[in-house]
Amino acid sequence: MPVVSQDLVRANLAIDQAEVKRRLLAGETLLADTPDHVLEVVGVLESYGEVLDAYSINLIYQAEAQFLNPFPIFKFLDGDLNPAKIWRHLNHDRINFEYAEYCQKAMFWHATGGMDAYLDSPEFAENCRRILAAKRRRDPLLALLNPLFPAFLPELIRSAATTHALGQFWRVMSDLFLDLAAAEREGRVRSIPQVVDFIKNGLVAAAANPIRYGVEIHGEHFWVLPPEAGLTFLVDVAVPYVEAVFLRGMPFLGTVSFNAQAQQISPDQAKFTYGALYADPLPSMGAGIPPSLLMQDMYRHLPEKLHQWYLERTRGEGDVRVKICMSFQKSMFCVTNAAINGTMPHPLASSDAAAQAANAAYAEAWAQRLGIARTDCLAA
Amino acid sequence: MLLSSLLLIPFLGCLALLACPGSPTPGRLRQITIVILVAQLVMSLLTAAQFDPTAAGLQLQEHHRWVPGIGLDYALGVDGLSLPLVLINGALTLVSAVITRDISKRPRLYFAMLLLISGAVNGAFLADNLLLFFLFYELELIPLWLLISVWGGVNRAYAATKFLIFTAISGMLILGAFLGLSLLTGTVDFSLTPVLSERLAMGSQLWLLGAILIGFGIKIPLVPLHNWLPDAHTQASTPVSVLLAGVLLKLGTYGLLRFGLQLFPEAWARLAPALAIWAAVSVLYGSLAAIAQTDMKRMVAYSSVGHMGYVLLAAAADSPVSLLGAVFQMVSHGLISALLFLLVGIVYRKTGTRDLEVLRGLLNPERGLPLTGSLMIVAVMASAGLPGMAGFISEFLVFRGSITAFPLATLLSMVGSGLTAVYFLLLVNRAFFGRLAITPPSGDPAADARLDVQLISVAPRETIPALALAASIVFIGLVPSSLGNLSEVASTAMANLTAGVG
Repeated sequence: MPVVSQDLVRANLAIDQAEVKRRLLAGETLLADTPDHVLEVVGVLESYGEVLDAYSINLIYQAEAQFLNPFPIFKFLDGDLNPAKIWRHLNHDRINFEYAEYCQKAMFWHATGGMDAYLDSPEFAENCRRILAAKRRRDPLLALLNPLFPAFLPELIRSAATTHALGQFWRVMSDLFLDLAAAEREGRVRSIPQVVDFIKNGLVAAAANPIRYGVEIHGEHFWVLPPEAGLTFLVDVAVPYVEAVFLRGMPFLGTVSFNAQAQQISPDQAKFTYGALYADPLPSMGAGIPPSLLMQDMYRHLPEKLHQWYLERTRGEGDVRVKICMSFQKSMFCVTNAAINGTMPHPLASSDAAAQAANAAYAEAWAQRLGIARTDCLAA
Repeated sequence: MLLSSLLLIPFLGCLALLACPGSPTPGRLRQITIVILVAQLVMSLLTAAQFDPTAAGLQLQEHHRWVPGIGLDYALGVDGLSLPLVLINGALTLVSAVITRDISKRPRLYFAMLLLISGAVNGAFLADNLLLFFLFYELELIPLWLLISVWGGVNRAYAATKFLIFTAISGMLILGAFLGLSLLTGTVDFSLTPVLSERLAMGSQLWLLGAILIGFGIKIPLVPLHNWLPDAHTQASTPVSVLLAGVLLKLGTYGLLRFGLQLFPEAWARLAPALAIWAAVSVLYGSLAAIAQTDMKRMVAYSSVGHMGYVLLAAAADSPVSLLGAVFQMVSHGLISALLFLLVGIVYRKTGTRDLEVLRGLLNPERGLPLTGSLMIVAVMASAGLPGMAGFISEFLVFRGSITAFPLATLLSMVGSGLTAVYFLLLVNRAFFGRLAITPPSGDPAADARLDVQLISVAPRETIPALALAASIVFIGLVPSSLGNLSEVASTAMANLTAGVG
């Protein structure tokens, strides 16, 4: 038997559920605290922040300016129709806004949290009725479609509402990640625990931000997600987003072999484990499939220091998107870590037995989900 | 003098390498060898330019008496059968030298042996005298034995000895047949004259042809004489495998056509039906054995056994079209198997294994070997005879030329051609598709997915020889007349020779 060189394969020993739970309860970070990890996580989150900025602007533009547009040909151009920009777009010298749409669709389909409940409420149906009544007055296509398929246009409005909400969420996250990079440059953040704390504080500070969405039709303003709905940043958008994209299903094209016909996929959506924390950074479906649109986008905005760090490893530029994906997974574990810490039922230092039991149950629930994720990236 | 230069350049180059003063680095020796082989290839191309494809018979002949007493003359000549083989010898030896890297053990001897083989093979293809052919045929054995036994894999001693025993028997049988022909006809004329055998009784002819068939059958190799080849390939280094499959096996098929078919046309016609069945058995056995292999190199080696069977089928059918197909098959098999071995070599160098139960997902664009994988797909398509590539033209000509004479054997060989697609798709599917990994699957997909494979990428210059081979395979497939024009007159003349007899 030929001997496979040890330096070609590295089998990472993943930390198990019990270890995840222990770290969460002990207040330790899931990701090992090393200088390389700080460089990777802060660098990749900075490029992610740049990309999220573009995604956020575009999602909000789509939800507001392309609302119920049957042929949104220029939806990725943010209203800027100069020929140079169109040429760059056709040349694919652009951000992959499709990725943001995939995330929006994942969120829309998995549909958890307060916003989804509101989208199915009679108040929302009434909003839709008023919007469509105003819109169809000058739009013969909508006037025809709505009576024929009464459920169709409200569904498009629900989709637009998710789009806008995701745009608002990413607005906050983009600023937070860019602030994190600035804090690291200024020396305020130097370790992984500090990174996790910084993100947790950012999330907690924005937790109660209201989520609202209104559209302008023929000069008249209509609410889709009105202030009265009482939707807020953390519980109604951030948590469903984490549920849909981090845990259940992330559109990393070509990273997981989905075979629903072979019963390899659970019919229960809640049992899906195809999110960012589970994705295989190595694309697996053979040649020609991009590892993911997001990695490509982050590659465009990679900080020079991190880029140099990648160039010194494995194939240099050749597998840079795999390396970005691996760093991205590390950073997403930090974000998840921050979210879990921020939503612990009681302070970890609490000496009350009931509080400790509640914390332990909460940590156990997370450990069960994270124990089977790609925790192999967490080791030093 | 043109043909002599094809011998002098490699032989003098070999001596120069051995005698060159000081201790040049392996890299420098490689450069010198490449320069010598480029000069040889240029002379081969000049020979092709001087060659008149419309004329039958040997051209550019050179003749000097050497040892008249035993009938050994220095007589060289080239025709449409030998010219393409001289050209691929020039090209593939160059490829072998280019892909040789990291020779730390006795580099001087290694490159000298490479040159010696190339010169000896040229000599064997160009010899216009039976004894001279035999000299060159034997001359190529020792360097190849050294190349396997010194620079081979773990079991190199076993494989090299096996190779030596088999081919030594092959040499003895061939020499016996040549001497027998001279003895029975009562002459000391060892020039290539088909008429000689007509003076013999059919029984003697069959004996002599039988010895030739077994002798060259070992070299080709044909089932059941193939036993040495898979071992030799598995233990040989990649450049040696390229040379072995691409050039040295062709000595066997060349000998079969030149000294079997041309020297004993009457006996050949008598044996042809049995030969066709032998060919079909060889094709089917080689293909089925290839399906059973899990070592990529053994699989390619067995595919060689199968594909060489087509040449025997074409030779047995002995029609102008089938013989042209035989020449095409020799050339295209030379290029395709060289490409396959070269790519298997790259996979082995980068992953440390050739085990099809271990390798997976090598086509991975980020961490795998995407260009190597793509070229492998081109190579297996060519080998399976897909239209637009060299393999299609040769197999089509062989089958088209043989089906009227031996319909059953041809149909069975066609099945073998279909089986080529089976085993090569198995190879591509197992090693190149799926998730990248180079360990056996553990049964737990989650654990398998956590193996972080970090292959060292293939530098572009490492794929230049493979790209060149792939380009020539496609070129012959798209412009078959480039080769057909060189060989058509010769193959028609060969077929007429026996047509007159039969």
